[in-house]
Parts: sequence; structure tokens; C-alpha cells
Amino acid sequence: MLIRLTASGVLATALTGALYLPAAAENAAQITTSPVPRFVEEAAAAGINHVYDGPWEYFVGGGAAAFDCNGDRRSDVFLAGGAGPARLFINKSATGGQLSFEEQELTLSEKNLNKVLGAYPLDIDNDGHTDLAVMRVGENLLLKGGPDCQFENANRAWSFDGGREWTTSFSAVWEKDKPFPTLAFGNYVDRSAPGSPWGTCHDNVLARSRNTENKSNEKPDYSEPQSLTPGHCTLSMMFTDWNRSGEPALRVSNDRHYYRGGEEQLWFLPPERPARLYRRADGWSRLKIWGMGIASHDLNADGFPEYLLTSMGDTKLQTLDEEAEEDRPVYRDVAYEKGATAHRPYTGEEIRPSTGWHADFQDFNNDSLIDIYIAKGNVEAMPDFAAYDPDNLLLGNWENGFAETGKEAGIALDRRGRGAVVADFNLDGLQDLIVVNRAAPVSVFRNQGQKIDNAHAPIGNWLGIELKQKGSNPNAVGARISVRIGTRSLVKDVDIGGGHASGTLGFEHFGLGTAERAQVRVRWPDGSWSHGYRVFTNSFVVIERDNPDAIQWHPQ
Amino acid sequence: MRAIGCMMSLSGLLVLMPAFAEEYKPWAERTILEHLRFEDFAGKTAERQDALIDRGQALFVAKFTDLDGAGRPMATQAILATKRRRPAPQDFQRLSGPDANSCASCHNDPAVGGAGHFTANVFVSEGFESADFDTSDPQFSNERGTNALHGAGLVELLAREMTADLHSQRKAALADARRSETPVEKELVSKDVRFGSIIANPDGTLDVSKIEGVDTDLTLRPFGQKGVFASLRQFTVNAMNHHHGMQAEERFGTQWTGSADFDEDRVESELSRGDISALVAWQATLKPPGRNGDIPSEWQQASERGEVVFAQAGCAECHRPTLPLKSLSFTDPGPYEVAGTLRPEETSTGIVHNLALEEWSKSLERDEYGNWLVPLFGDLKRHRISGKRQNAFGNELLGQRFVDRDVFLTTELWGVDTTGPYGHRGDITTLDQAILSHGGEALNSRDAYAALPDKDRDSLIAFLRTLIIEP
Repeated sequence: MLIRLTASGVLATALTGALYLPAAAENAAQITTSPVPRFVEEAAAAGINHVYDGPWEYFVGGGAAAFDCNGDRRSDVFLAGGAGPARLFINKSATGGQLSFEEQELTLSEKNLNKVLGAYPLDIDNDGHTDLAVMRVGENLLLKGGPDCQFENANRAWSFDGGREWTTSFSAVWEKDKPFPTLAFGNYVDRSAPGSPWGTCHDNVLARSRNTENKSNEKPDYSEPQSLTPGHCTLSMMFTDWNRSGEPALRVSNDRHYYRGGEEQLWFLPPERPARLYRRADGWSRLKIWGMGIASHDLNADGFPEYLLTSMGDTKLQTLDEEAEEDRPVYRDVAYEKGATAHRPYTGEEIRPSTGWHADFQDFNNDSLIDIYIAKGNVEAMPDFAAYDPDNLLLGNWENGFAETGKEAGIALDRRGRGAVVADFNLDGLQDLIVVNRAAPVSVFRNQGQKIDNAHAPIGNWLGIELKQKGSNPNAVGARISVRIGTRSLVKDVDIGGGHASGTLGFEHFGLGTAERAQVRVRWPDGSWSHGYRVFTNSFVVIERDNPDAIQWHPQ
Repeated sequence: MRAIGCMMSLSGLLVLMPAFAEEYKPWAERTILEHLRFEDFAGKTAERQDALIDRGQALFVAKFTDLDGAGRPMATQAILATKRRRPAPQDFQRLSGPDANSCASCHNDPAVGGAGHFTANVFVSEGFESADFDTSDPQFSNERGTNALHGAGLVELLAREMTADLHSQRKAALADARRSETPVEKELVSKDVRFGSIIANPDGTLDVSKIEGVDTDLTLRPFGQKGVFASLRQFTVNAMNHHHGMQAEERFGTQWTGSADFDEDRVESELSRGDISALVAWQATLKPPGRNGDIPSEWQQASERGEVVFAQAGCAECHRPTLPLKSLSFTDPGPYEVAGTLRPEETSTGIVHNLALEEWSKSLERDEYGNWLVPLFGDLKRHRISGKRQNAFGNELLGQRFVDRDVFLTTELWGVDTTGPYGHRGDITTLDQAILSHGGEALNSRDAYAALPDKDRDSLIAFLRTLIIEP
């Protein structure tokens, strides 16, 4: 048991290592002067009536995938159902209007659609149609997408063994010169092992396609997966170029509730060689948390991403320490100094710690400062943790910190959040939010902008950017987008993975404050930088590699 | 015209609203005793708007002081709130600014709101990199003459209507392409001014490579030599910071910077929304230039011939004698503002100036459709104005806000007799030389003028010299 005396002199107690600070001390440190975006929850009106539920296996998971499956550049949504079936909802929202979706019947078998914990969208076979990597209790699925929002099970065609594990996380990346993506699946408890569930974590899986060339009609071949041993009951994983080496590493966040001797992990992926763990000798420090979700963002645009790790109790926000070197991943936690611990409910009477799941860095109020969303919710009925545990909306402020605004924003519902997807579903320039809750309806939050008197208004300027390149990796996963406004550079990495069982693919959103124009540069996945694209804000643009101009796109 | 300077004290300071003077001594070294509330004027009567216009006039001539918030020791002249790397060594600096005490210290010829002499030139840089330049070397800034603001309200209204036309044409092209499932090319034309074309694709993407003379967002920006400001409001917010270090809340306030005193001069909230609206109101309602009718018959005859020659030489292709305007209702804020300049969505009701109530509007002619004919001698379009054979106007090294170095907005010639010197650098002393300096797209017209008999050239000058701003 850890006892800490906080800055305000209040003695607070944390359970088994969780930092436990009075909310007042945190809130006093961080405020925002930016307009708070106001969300309205309109799932029922939007046509999404869906619940993620099921027994113990579905206490975790509860993911969603947001992507365009019919070519209209609107984000459609695939929702995990747990013990019930996963479902696909087609986005019919009018531009700038209320959110509206219509369910699309999937032709997949009931067996394939049940026991789904989450999914990530990506174009595995480079055919221009988005596929889905689906995590299940049992066989995982690679679903090949077609032009009409239909999917077929491609496990056999792509020589992919979906296994029988309880899979709770996923990430993908195109390694250098590889035609098809490398896939990582993170598994949870091995329920059949002796002594389960304690200390019986499954290994994780790394599936590299055996193909070396992207020939026409070539199919991915995942017939030789590598076991990532040891597994520590992984709930989130993310390929990331932590050291600007141009080579991906795999960050893995694990649940200390079940592992023994485990910790957070970072795998090094040398080309053509097996992955290996960074160890203590490499500078990697042992960190034991209830790792639920990873989000990354380069907060100071120095080329080295920061990582947000959700947990039970305090959230971690890691930045490279001064002792770090290009092959020494030494991190230090800056969550407290930045006001991002989000360790207990910010409203209500609860003083028990929070349980964090999905996390995402996005600019929800378009003030050009990155914000943090965290889905929160008790695992089921854990008595030592808050029962009413509202989701967080931590708005970035000009002091490089974060201020909690979840209540004012209207997202503080009494639901047990899990996965989530953030996208501009109605193409009005404001990031909306869909949250999958355990044993409760999915929340569909439309971002209405700031509230002025009794009306809502847009906030800052914004930009939506879609990347395209020919051949393999058509969505340029692994690219970095740098948007220059004045003397500031805002950066985003295009990645597949992280969060909690949830992923998005589509326009990358940038809030640009008062900028009327911006210069966009892209570091393509092979490391080459583009020239600067001149764009006007409050617009959507498609940047195609080798096209000298950014292409405007106008929603209908 | 409303009287100017009636509220000016001997010391040059202003007592803007005596009723609010209780807080300050009568001799307080301030020009702003109380900030205006936008809401106090929005949706109000014409009489109330007149009060706003008067206040705008007072602010335009006010010599701002430290106590008002003049100066920006820790902010650059940039249009985005940008911190200086180190404190400014001087309060005033004629190059990177702040470079003026009042708006009227440059905009004053032949009347307040007018143009400026070469001595009033401004040095324009984006204010991001090398923001505190202390050299007139053109690699750091573009040196520009001062534009006249008379008729600016009409200019903005024309630009708004033209922007609406172009946006409508874009929308129609996209709808046609989606409906027909084939690419659709559409000419962009507004008020008979052609802006090239766009190709809309069925998937909603747009080929903008054939757009001419306007930004690719199809928003006309009719202010500044390069045509980079969409509205008087945006221009005013920019200029107040650049030239005076007077920072408007709507751009530099806590909402966008986290600080009420972004420039760290120990004065918070230097210009309110209402203050900016006052400045906009005064500029928007400034009487437009007209023609000098008080000239000898010899001049009149030459002028009439010159106007014909002006058209025959091709000058009128860009310097359109008139553009038709549907409405004289000037709303503030305007419809095409972006964040950082007050937008209509941020107000419950806007301020409306009915320019038809202005006495000067009676002199505007109307066409058969009821449009007011704005005699601006311009097209609100950008042109490449320098080329290999004649590059006198290609004397800048820096592009500005995506506009190439040798591309400029067509100068409106109304009032041209009273707005010399000429050229965007204000370094050409005669109209004849200004015409001969045209190159690029205007080369043929320039050559046509050069080839005219002396009498016709002279008559064209005679015509131009009838276009005046009345003092």
C-alpha cells in the first residue's frame, strides 16, 4: 500500500500502487480558457441501438471500428457485440446535421459475428477497399472488404490462423518494402491453463506476411506467425516509431490484474528477424499497471511521440527522458504535471479510483491544442473502484497541460465505457464520438461546438486530411502529417492500433485555431518527406503521393 | 461626411464618450475610456449605428497610448497570435512595427481614410520568421504603399456577392457531377468577371488547377494590394495589431491564446468586438470616390475622349468601370469570416448598416435590373502584372499568403487622381509611368497605350485625373 502526501497536504491513499490525488488539487492546477465543445447524445435518434454485453470474457473489449465502407468518405461504424452479434451501421448523416445511421445486414455467419470484442479497419490486401481485423473470443478474423460494405472471411485465403485465444488487442504496420501489413494480436487470459485466471496469460502473436513483392493478384500469406513470448494479458498494443528510426516497435500494455512477473512491454522489430523485447539493459523500466489502452501523440512536435496509458487509478503519460538514447527507451511520467492523471471521477461523490479504457488524442474544440478523451467504467462491480465513473474530456491548454471538461461537455454519463471511435461523422469540422459501453447502449455523441447564449457555434478552424498512395499500403499507415500554422507545427501519425479494441481509418483531423491557411507536409511511410501543400482551412483535402497539389473534397 | 476631429483635444488625445469619463480624469492619457459592447449595437436602429460610425471615426484618428494598450513588446505583427523570441528593443519600429500612432497617420490623403505618401509605406511580412527585421532589404518584407479606404463598404459587398456566386457554381458543379457520375467542368463567372473553371468529379473531389485570379477556396479577398483580406473586419484586426500593437480580443484574447494580455504590455483586452465593429462601421460607410465635375471644358472634353481610349486600349478589361451590386445592406460580421475574426455564428444578431441611407448612395447609378453600379474601375481579381519584358511591378521577392510575388489584385482606379504615388510600392509619381509599368497579363494594354498618339495618351490621363476622393 502506498501512502502519499499531496501538494495540498491532504493525505490520500491509493490501492496497490495507484496514485490517488484529490481531484481538487488537480483541477486547481489546470484550467482552460478555450471554449468547451458541447456534445449531445443522440444514439436512439441516430439509429444506433446496440449493446455490448456478455459474461466474464466480455468484461473487457467492447470495441468499434470507424471507416468508410462504401466510398462516400463518411465514416461508417462496425460495433462489437460481445456475446451478441457484431453489427455494421452505415453513415447517412447529412452534412452538418444530426447523426444518422442505417444498419447494414452482414452476410457473414452468425458464428463469425458472435463473440467479437473489437475490430480495427485497414486495407490488408491493398485493393482500395477497407478490410477488418476482428478480435474474438476464439478464432480471430480477417474480413476482406468489398465495395458495397460486405465482407468475407479471408482467413483461409490469406493463410491466417485466427487461433483460439481470447484476443483483446491488435495493431498493424507496413514494414519497410513489405507489400502487406505485419499484424500483431494481443491475447488475454488462457482460461484453460492450470490455475487460471491468475498468472495464466496467453502469448501474443506477430504475423508477418511471407510475400516479398506486391504482384497483381498476390494475396497476403500469414502462414508463419511468430509467438511474442511472454504475453502478459495484453489489452492494448500499438506499432510506433518511438525513436524516429524508421523502423516500427510494438508497444504493449498489459493488465497486472492477471499476470505474474509481468510489465509493460516494448518489442523491437528488426527487419527480417524475430521481434525481441527491450530489456532492463536497454533502459526499459519496469512499469506495472492495469494497462487498458494506449494512445500516442507527439505533444511537442519533436519527432518523439508521447504515450498515454490508461489504467485503474492514475493514467500514465510517458515522455522520453533525458537519459534516453536512440536505442534506449527511457521514459518518465508527466501525467501529474500536465493534469492528465484522470485518476478518479471528476464529478459526483465518488472518491474511489477510476477505471480507464479507450484513449485518444484529438482536438475536439479546434483550438489547435490537442485534447484527450478517455473512456471510463467499472470492470463490472469492483468494489474498490468507482461505480459512477464518467468519461474524461481533457482539453489541452496553453500551459501545455490538460483541464477536465467532461461534465460541461455533456459526456459524463453513468455508463461503463470501453472502446470508442472519434471521427467527424457529419463532416461539419467537429470531431464526434461514439462510445461502446458494457451492458448499456452505445453512446453516440454529436459535437455541436461551443455554446453561446442558447445556441451552438463552431469553434476554431480545422482541416481534414486523407492520405493516398499507389500500390501497397494505400492509406499510408505509418506516415506522419505535419501541419504548419504560423510558427507552430501540429503533427499526427497515421497508425492502426492502440486504444481499447477500437480503431479508425479516414480523414485525419486537425484543429487550427485562428489560422486561415496552412502548409501541410507528409512524411510518407518510406521516410521521404513531401513538399509543402498549401491549403485553406475549414476544408477536407486528399493528398495523393506524387500529386503536386492537395485535392479538395467537398461532402454532399 | 461626418466631421472629423470634433472630439480631438488639444493634446491629441480623445475623450470618446464623456459620459464614461468618471473613471478617468479629463486629462487622462488615454484614447479609449470605455470599450464598446457589440450587443449594444447589434440589431439596433440607424441612429444607433450612426453613433457607432462616429465612434469608429474617433478610433481611426486616435493616437493610441501605452495606457490604451499600444505596443506589443512580446508579440509579432503576425495575423496569428505569435510570441516574439525576445522583448522588442523599441516601442516603435518603422519596419517591422508597430509603425504608426493612428490609422489616420498613414490613411490621410486627401482625407482621413485615404491613401498615403511614400513616407507612409508599410513593410509587410508574415511575421512568423524573422519577424523583427530592421532592414528594408526585400528578402525580409515587401514594401507597400497605403491604400485608400473610401468606398470599402461597397467593395466588400461586391466581393461577398461574387464569393456567393462562385460558391454556388462550385456546389452546382459538384451536384451535377454526382448526378451524372461523370466529371463536370464549370466556368466560374461573377458579375461578368471570369475566374477560370473547375472540374468537379463524381466522388466530390475538385480539380482547381484552372482557377484564375482568386484563391482556390473561391473566396474573394478584396483588400490589400495582393487581395488577401476577405473583409474590413479581418483587415482591421490584423492592422490594429501590426501597426499599433492594439490587439483585438476576437483574435488575441484568452479564447485563442490563454491570456488577456498576449502581447505582455500590461493592458488586457485592448480592443473589444464593439470597438472593432466601430472601426468597420466607419470604413464601410466612407463615401466612395467620385468624379471631379469642377473642371474646365477643355479638360472635360479630353476626359470624355480619354474614357473612350481607356476602353479601347483594353484597360477596362480589368479596370472595370462599374460592377453591379444587388444589395446595399452591409452586415457585420460578414458571411465569410473564419475563426479569429468575429463570425455570424458567434453573435445572436449582427450589426446592419444600410448603405442606401447614406447620402452618397444617391449618386450611384442603377442598371435595368435595379443593381447599384459601383464605379470602382476594378474587377476584384488578381492578375500576374509583371513579365519578362516589363517587370517593373515584379519588384517583390516574397509571396504573400499563397499569392505569388508578381501577382496583385487589380487596383481600383476610383479616386486615383488623389491617391498617388502609384504602384504597390508607392514609388511611381505619374499615372503615365504607372500605366507603362504594367507587364504580364496587362502587357498588351500597356503596349496599346504606349502606341497611342500623344493626344490620346494625354486624354486618357485627363480622364483618370477626374477620378477623385473628395476631401
